[in-house]
Amino acid sequence: MNLSRPDRVPRLDALAASYVLGTLPGRARARLSRIARTDTVVSQTIRAWEQRLSPLAEAAPPITPSPQVWRLIALRLGLDAVRPSERGPWWSRVGFWRAFALASFVGVIALGVTLMAPQRADQPIVVVLAGQDARPALIATLDRDSRTMTVKTVGGAPVPPDRSLELWMLPEGAAPRSLGVLPSTGVGRVTLPALPDVAFANVPALAVSLEQAGGSRTGAPQGPVLYTGRVEKFY
Amino acid sequence: MRVAALLSRIAMGDQVAFAEFYEVTSSHLYGVALRILKDPPAAEEILQEAYVNVWHHAGSYEVAKSQPMTWLTSIVRNRCLDQLRRREVETVTLTSDDDDAPEYDLPSESMTPAEMLLAGAEARSVRDCVDTLDAGPKQAIALAFYQGLSHSELAAHLHEPLGTVKSWVRRGLERLKNCLDRAGMGRE
Repeated sequence: MNLSRPDRVPRLDALAASYVLGTLPGRARARLSRIARTDTVVSQTIRAWEQRLSPLAEAAPPITPSPQVWRLIALRLGLDAVRPSERGPWWSRVGFWRAFALASFVGVIALGVTLMAPQRADQPIVVVLAGQDARPALIATLDRDSRTMTVKTVGGAPVPPDRSLELWMLPEGAAPRSLGVLPSTGVGRVTLPALPDVAFANVPALAVSLEQAGGSRTGAPQGPVLYTGRVEKFY
Repeated sequence: MRVAALLSRIAMGDQVAFAEFYEVTSSHLYGVALRILKDPPAAEEILQEAYVNVWHHAGSYEVAKSQPMTWLTSIVRNRCLDQLRRREVETVTLTSDDDDAPEYDLPSESMTPAEMLLAGAEARSVRDCVDTLDAGPKQAIALAFYQGLSHSELAAHLHEPLGTVKSWVRRGLERLKNCLDRAGMGRE
């Protein structure tokens, strides 16, 4: 039976209506849904009925699902396992730090010997910032006697034209502190609030978030964190 | 619209947007699923599947083709109805014992299905169309839509012959369609 034939249209419309309403019996329902996958006239007829009827669903009072539902979704997708309504800023979440520890561990392996060798006082400080795939996206370097940090783009996703990358220090037990906006490509420079020994004394990590053009207006990260990197302790 | 904006961020892998999206939409979708299935574990399972799907396929949502809540509600309703109707086919063919499924009582509702239908209509300024339905068809359509009742369940629930409820539903839907299309609603 070809449901798309013009003389079949009223029949198709009635079938689609009872499909969307839910009264179409099991076998007919499975069959129509199968046909809709390949026949656009059928799928459009169904969609038109969805448009007509589904606004009515919005009036039904909502029922809150158990918190377990979100936990299982987050678990299946490997997301930060914090219930949305309980979530704080990303930098204060346990899941973030756990993911960060893993990512930076993998990042160190990926970089091989560069970071395996203990950093010494006469060497520049190197912080590798990587995304969840552990591929280095930015490399920050600075000399121990300088407040100027050089940040070089070596990978990562392209930055949309209306967004900016912003670099943050992540002090232990305190809110992130901005080091400024980075250029979308190439090499950028930011100035530390003090010489590295002091500035990084309580800062185990750096992070880069995606912010509106020009950076966060609030002084705290607003956008998602894209890259993180561990500041190796070398004292 | 907020949900559409969240979907486009989810398509780029934004977990914060996804959590917010869940917060904004999950109670609505769970209500839809639970009323149809009347089985919390099954409704939760459907919800999980739906959100896993959204995470993976948010990019395939086409703004031009439907409102995001219509898209989502349809995904959830379809999955629930598929499961419900499939269960019935299996029950009919495999067993004659329909007392084995425990009845789940929905939390007591402040609105009857027919009232929900009217409230929904009001929200969409298609109240006039729902109002043109006679009481019987209106109640049959509301029970089928919100609670997933089949024709025979409708007949039992409304104490009417099967043929009567079938024609109520058919003619009620036709009338709704003509009225909504005339009013410029519910067209592509």
